[in-house]
Amino acid sequence: MTILQKELLHELSNSVVEMDDERTTELAEQYVENKFDVYEGIANGLAHGMDRAGKLYEEEEYYIPELLMCSDVMYAGLDVLKPHLDYASTANKHKAVVGVVEGDTHDIGKNLFKIMLETTGFEVIDLGRDVPPIDFVNKAKEVGASVIGLSTLMTTTMDNMAVVIELLKKENIRDDVVVLVGGGPISQSYADKIGADGYAPEASAAARLAKELVKELKKSA
Amino acid sequence: MLKDQMTPLERAKALAKGELVDRIQCNPNLSNGIARVHGCKISAFNHSGRTLADAVISTHKRFFTDGAKIFTDLFTLSEAMGAKMKFPDDDTVDLLEPAIKDISQIHMLEPVNPYKDDRLPIHIEAMKYVQDEIGHEVPCTALIVGPFTSAFFLIGVEKMTKLMIRNPEAVHKLCEISLKSCINFADAAMKQGVGISIAEPMSSCTVVSPKHFREYAVPYLSKFVDFIKSKVNGVSIHICGKTEGIWTDIADMGINAFSVDNVVDLRKCVETIGDRVKIMGHVDPSSVMYAGTREEVRRATIDCVKQAYKCPKGYGIMSGCGLPVETPIQNIDAMIDTAREIGYPVTDDKLEYLLSFEKYKD
Repeated sequence: MTILQKELLHELSNSVVEMDDERTTELAEQYVENKFDVYEGIANGLAHGMDRAGKLYEEEEYYIPELLMCSDVMYAGLDVLKPHLDYASTANKHKAVVGVVEGDTHDIGKNLFKIMLETTGFEVIDLGRDVPPIDFVNKAKEVGASVIGLSTLMTTTMDNMAVVIELLKKENIRDDVVVLVGGGPISQSYADKIGADGYAPEASAAARLAKELVKELKKSA
Repeated sequence: MLKDQMTPLERAKALAKGELVDRIQCNPNLSNGIARVHGCKISAFNHSGRTLADAVISTHKRFFTDGAKIFTDLFTLSEAMGAKMKFPDDDTVDLLEPAIKDISQIHMLEPVNPYKDDRLPIHIEAMKYVQDEIGHEVPCTALIVGPFTSAFFLIGVEKMTKLMIRNPEAVHKLCEISLKSCINFADAAMKQGVGISIAEPMSSCTVVSPKHFREYAVPYLSKFVDFIKSKVNGVSIHICGKTEGIWTDIADMGINAFSVDNVVDLRKCVETIGDRVKIMGHVDPSSVMYAGTREEVRRATIDCVKQAYKCPKGYGIMSGCGLPVETPIQNIDAMIDTAREIGYPVTDDKLEYLLSFEKYKD
């Protein structure tokens, strides 16, 4: 790796953390002009910055507004880098279906989880918010998903997570897919109660957990 | 089930005077679960102040907890300022679309008229019935979503959070309009005789930083608090999630009672601001109240009391947030019965004794 590439990766990461979209776009353009490896630019530049932002969030240095700005900036950089991505190098990604359960239209947590999943190497199918339980099941079957991520911010709608798990059992695909639940009112004990595979208190930890659980799932298959 | 010796209002008045009471205060914090207690659909509250009042009254008569609350969802004020709602048949109303798409449309926003706009008149009517019919025995309050949180629903949560970083002036304008609506609604509510509680979930440190809270929420929240306290004796607030970074700000605003989420350190909260603010809450609404057994509810309740009963301004048992609609009724019974079991005065020995055996065997 040249010194310039190293520098650019470092700067890309910094500009995401610092929420500087113009600087990020400039750096990404410069990165592409130099014909550096684009996948690396995403993983070790933009996503690296997003990961640092996630850690700052865990440490209570950053909060939701800062995290959302960072993700906007990361996406601005992605817009520049993505068209130059060599897709062969990223084939065979595991698929994840994510969404906010029916009755809830708050999608901050889900969006962060989606970004974190993408940066850990998943192909993410985002069903959006207010998603009926059966839609998760149908989409997971259709695309052969390894992960279903269910999010809610409201105590009033969390029961729908249990409904999704029941439907997966009915369709006999419960064992083929890792079910992760998250959001404000969700806890490890709630995840255990409804028989979800995993829970993490915030998005980047949840994405890391998803990666681990899928690895185990594929090993045992 | 154990019996109370005093009405909730008698108990509240006696406590305020420092007199002896029959038991520690307890308010499980039902939200639209009151529809389950009353036996109606949640959507009935969208159309009838009478039904909403009846559900609040049924809940009071079922549990005899220490407050009767008129509240349905977070969006009554933002809806009255133009936000679009989703009205499920038997679930909580939710935000469909914010009132404006972009800050350039801010001129379209107007402060609410509580007697005319959308569901506000229904709520005002319900407050009147509730206060007239049970106000002689239980403190009745309207839970009003505060100026900062309501502002989020005017433009959308994501846009608002980004404006906080990119366009501070726009955020102040939104909060200003939101504050006027809060004041108009609270004024009409207090004219029905009820007290005011404020809900400010977006003020949580789980969402925004203490710095942003001070910059954008405090100026409007403190004006709202001052307005309420110019008319009635006190005001309480609930903020979900983490709040440690803003505890002293809450006390500094002159808020009289603060209900905390289960994620905070209750003991530390009492130590930090308990000499200025009454503390309530902290029983986990999801894993304990919704998903736990009755014995788990009992133990969690006693544990909260243990951590907080020495609070100089007092502690009231409460769940850490509004209860999920389908929270088992027997768990709510278990919480209030535990308050009766604890009785008054509370001592360490008594709490240790209660924890030394299991009451519920299921």
